[in-house]
Amino acid sequence: MSSRVVIDPVSRIEGHLRLEIEVDEPSHKVTNAVSAGTMWRGIELIVKNRDPREVWAFTQRICGVCTTIHALASVRNIEDALDIEIPKNANYIRNIMLGTLYAHDHLVHFYHLHALDWVSPLEAIKADPVATAALQNQILQTYGGIISLYTDFLGGNAYPRKFPKATPGYFKTFQDKIKNLVQSGQLGIFAANWWDHPDYKMLPPEVHLIAISHYLNMLDVQRELVIPHVVFGGKNPHPHYIVGGMNCSISMNDMNAPINMERLAVVEDAVYTQAEAANLFYLIDLLAIGQIYVQKGWTYGGGLSKDRVLGYGDYPDEPYKSIKNGDYFEKILYHSNGVVENFAQGVDKAKYYPITNEDLTNPDIIQEWVTHSWYQYPNNNEGLHPWNGITDPYYTGPKEGTKTHWKYLNENGKYSWIKSPRWRNLPAEVGPLARYMIVYTAVKQGHIKPSWMDEMVVNQIDFVSKLLNLPPHVWMPTTVGRTAARALECQLGANASNYFLKKLYDNIKAGDTSVANMEKWEPSTWPSQAKGVGISEAPRGALGHWCIIKDGKIENYQAVVPTTWNGSPRDEKGQQAAFERSMQDTIVLIAKEPLEILRSIHSFDPCLACSTHVYNTQKEEVVSFKIGGACYE
Amino acid sequence: MIDGKETFWEALKRHGVSRREFLKFSAVITGLMGLPPAFIPKVVEAMETKPRVPVIWVHGLECTCCSESFIRSATPLASDVLLTMISLEYDDTLSAAAGEALEKHKEDIMKKYHGEYILAVEGNPPLGDDGMYCVVGGKPFLEGLKKAAEGAKAVIAWGSCASWGCVQAAKPNPTTAVPIHKVITDKPIVKIPGCPPIPEVMTGTIMYTVLFGKLPPLDSQGRPKMFYGNRIHDTCYRRAFFNEGMYVEQFDDEGAKKGWCLYKMGCRGPTTYNSCGNLRWYNGLSYPIQSGHGCIGCSADGFWDNGNFYSREQNIPFIGTESNADKVGAVAVGAAAVGAIAHGVISKIRSGKKED
Repeated sequence: MSSRVVIDPVSRIEGHLRLEIEVDEPSHKVTNAVSAGTMWRGIELIVKNRDPREVWAFTQRICGVCTTIHALASVRNIEDALDIEIPKNANYIRNIMLGTLYAHDHLVHFYHLHALDWVSPLEAIKADPVATAALQNQILQTYGGIISLYTDFLGGNAYPRKFPKATPGYFKTFQDKIKNLVQSGQLGIFAANWWDHPDYKMLPPEVHLIAISHYLNMLDVQRELVIPHVVFGGKNPHPHYIVGGMNCSISMNDMNAPINMERLAVVEDAVYTQAEAANLFYLIDLLAIGQIYVQKGWTYGGGLSKDRVLGYGDYPDEPYKSIKNGDYFEKILYHSNGVVENFAQGVDKAKYYPITNEDLTNPDIIQEWVTHSWYQYPNNNEGLHPWNGITDPYYTGPKEGTKTHWKYLNENGKYSWIKSPRWRNLPAEVGPLARYMIVYTAVKQGHIKPSWMDEMVVNQIDFVSKLLNLPPHVWMPTTVGRTAARALECQLGANASNYFLKKLYDNIKAGDTSVANMEKWEPSTWPSQAKGVGISEAPRGALGHWCIIKDGKIENYQAVVPTTWNGSPRDEKGQQAAFERSMQDTIVLIAKEPLEILRSIHSFDPCLACSTHVYNTQKEEVVSFKIGGACYE
Repeated sequence: MIDGKETFWEALKRHGVSRREFLKFSAVITGLMGLPPAFIPKVVEAMETKPRVPVIWVHGLECTCCSESFIRSATPLASDVLLTMISLEYDDTLSAAAGEALEKHKEDIMKKYHGEYILAVEGNPPLGDDGMYCVVGGKPFLEGLKKAAEGAKAVIAWGSCASWGCVQAAKPNPTTAVPIHKVITDKPIVKIPGCPPIPEVMTGTIMYTVLFGKLPPLDSQGRPKMFYGNRIHDTCYRRAFFNEGMYVEQFDDEGAKKGWCLYKMGCRGPTTYNSCGNLRWYNGLSYPIQSGHGCIGCSADGFWDNGNFYSREQNIPFIGTESNADKVGAVAVGAAAVGAIAHGVISKIRSGKKED
């Protein structure tokens, strides 16, 4: 018999997400899974008619968790429209900020939003602190080889400041804290979870104690990782950018300068903290937990990643002239710009398609559908490119319950505030796992000349495959694989911070201190009409912003974001996106305590404010120009 | 134990804090809260006798930057806040539990601590389409917000969303998002505006509220005076350049490299009340102006619709007068002369007193 279980709210995510699953009791299989975004804010509508130079600040507020990424996509978008090439230093600084975001966002996701799906404070209480200390040493030994995959381009770090403490006293302190918390009866953030779930018995108590200790330890360390944002952008969350480069002028002659030697030293220190947190804590803990889960046969949750993943690529090594004309793709170091199909059949059998500017500008390739979203099109059975999008809200309520009190949503009708983006009419998973599959396939099949970042990705994947004694196509398209790819990418991002800081030093040494190209700052220098595309690899996956500028104002602005790809409802063909596919690929032991579902969904690091900000309630055509032909230029 | 509930001091003891460390800690936080040393005994007494206060933290339409900012706090650190100061019983972002179990726990806490818990609100409710643009647990966020407010001792409005409406309420406000004081009218609300607020302003407000069992002294708009009493302009390290008429004229020009005043680049420091200039971000490390970008006024009501971020303020309210950059530039020499005279007079008075 099958019962329908609702999880709402899904906690430890950004924003508001509702899940409904039907579990077949004898087989523990999920026979039906429904994922619904339950909020929207309409930021693209709000930026209409505003000055393109200030739009980054509005779109940055799409998300405060992956803070900075929508600002980056936005300044890239406006610069693309206005043909602005930013100075080298600005490119390096933006990449340091992006690397910083990967390091910080991924680490916080693992420890503070995801770890409690794998480990429990109540199990940690049972651990022996002496055995825990010994285990900490042992796992550093066993998995420490991963550290050598990080390349120190700067070479300025005498010894790691943050090193896991492997003493019984350290672990006993944390254990006592947790014990007292439990005894006080005020469990706070740990309250009311399904701690009696048998999955929490999968790991020995000592692993729980290590992870819970590091949960608390990293809660205080994480703030140090984002210091480069505070130096270059003045604060975090929501550091500042400008169209044309960066605001943080460089001068080695003035202590009042936004960037001088002292400021760079502060950044460098944080860059090493990123490396230490990724290398010595996050990766080691991840591998220790992940290996046991995989060994116990928990290789579920792959879902759509087995069939199709998508990415745009990022980290331009040097400034590029344009995204829409393709130069961006010539400059990037992280070649996740592609689509890979059938990775689960083996990397040699996987099908690889590169993604370039054509994929972003051709109206037939990336489209959004609303068949199952609370919107309507004149023709509900067609998809529209972001440049031709129409948004006409059409809230229909649930299947059971009332308009304002839902029991069950109606997956046969409309059921989400998220639209359904599709690539060539097909759903695709995005995110760190997608990027890792794409780079791995592109390199192994010889489609690209690998950069140092691509090589690092391949080496990381080969390291884990050897450790698990499983080929990538077996361990990667799983919930554990998705979580592992994010950890590996944390190391990659931290390494990018290091690499680009070295490039920044070298360029300043060569006499270049420019951070902003102000040639086209004044709107009088702009064409009367322009269009742009701004893309980035956000922590959660491929991110695209599209704009049209008319007479110095935003005529139209659209964003298609990672959680829209992953969390979207079904399309007109009934094709499900990554969240739903992953849930249907997950075994649920106890239907009323679907811990495995939370684990799989959390492995995507959902960001609902991102996915559901995009809609316009005014029943008007959001975009009103034609691609190609005689449009406006 | 008071009514079976743990006090701060007991909580700290439980965490192995000695009496001496506790007194030192009390002195530090007294300073942090901007109170004179004479208040130390009061702080100590408060910490010894006040029970820990449960906190319910709800999320409406927002971007979670407030939660992220909160965990960036250095003094106190996030772990200290969560484990020794408050009992964060419900928070969509950090709570381990989810779904029905989490909602039931919230209900239990609201009953058990009726009239005693603090409701912290991040984001705001949309009123459009019966509130169904923000749905939590299958019901409009608005409904849950009002219910949670009923039994709250006090309400904290985190950030500019809850305080003023912020970005989703910017024109044309497609969802009809409103600040929480529009829908919670019978409870004291402390506003902590900012997008996001400064981390230590958030944790500092929590500490004060928990320690003294009441909200900190508020200004006429409901903001804690200690954190929102000064304009950024008045506490800005670049203020001297404003007074001297030395301005950045374009991003990355010579003035920008020398850290001159960003007023002409649209800086909203002159009209924005916040602690960015004195407290700064990351325990004094930086703030937007120090990174070379003008303040965008993110703690001010309606800052998204107060004109372009890069167009300069037309007038700056000075004490008893109004002025602008051109006037300041023109009178800078004269003002400096007057200042020198005044300074000389004061010096003389001082030296005269000494001679006495």
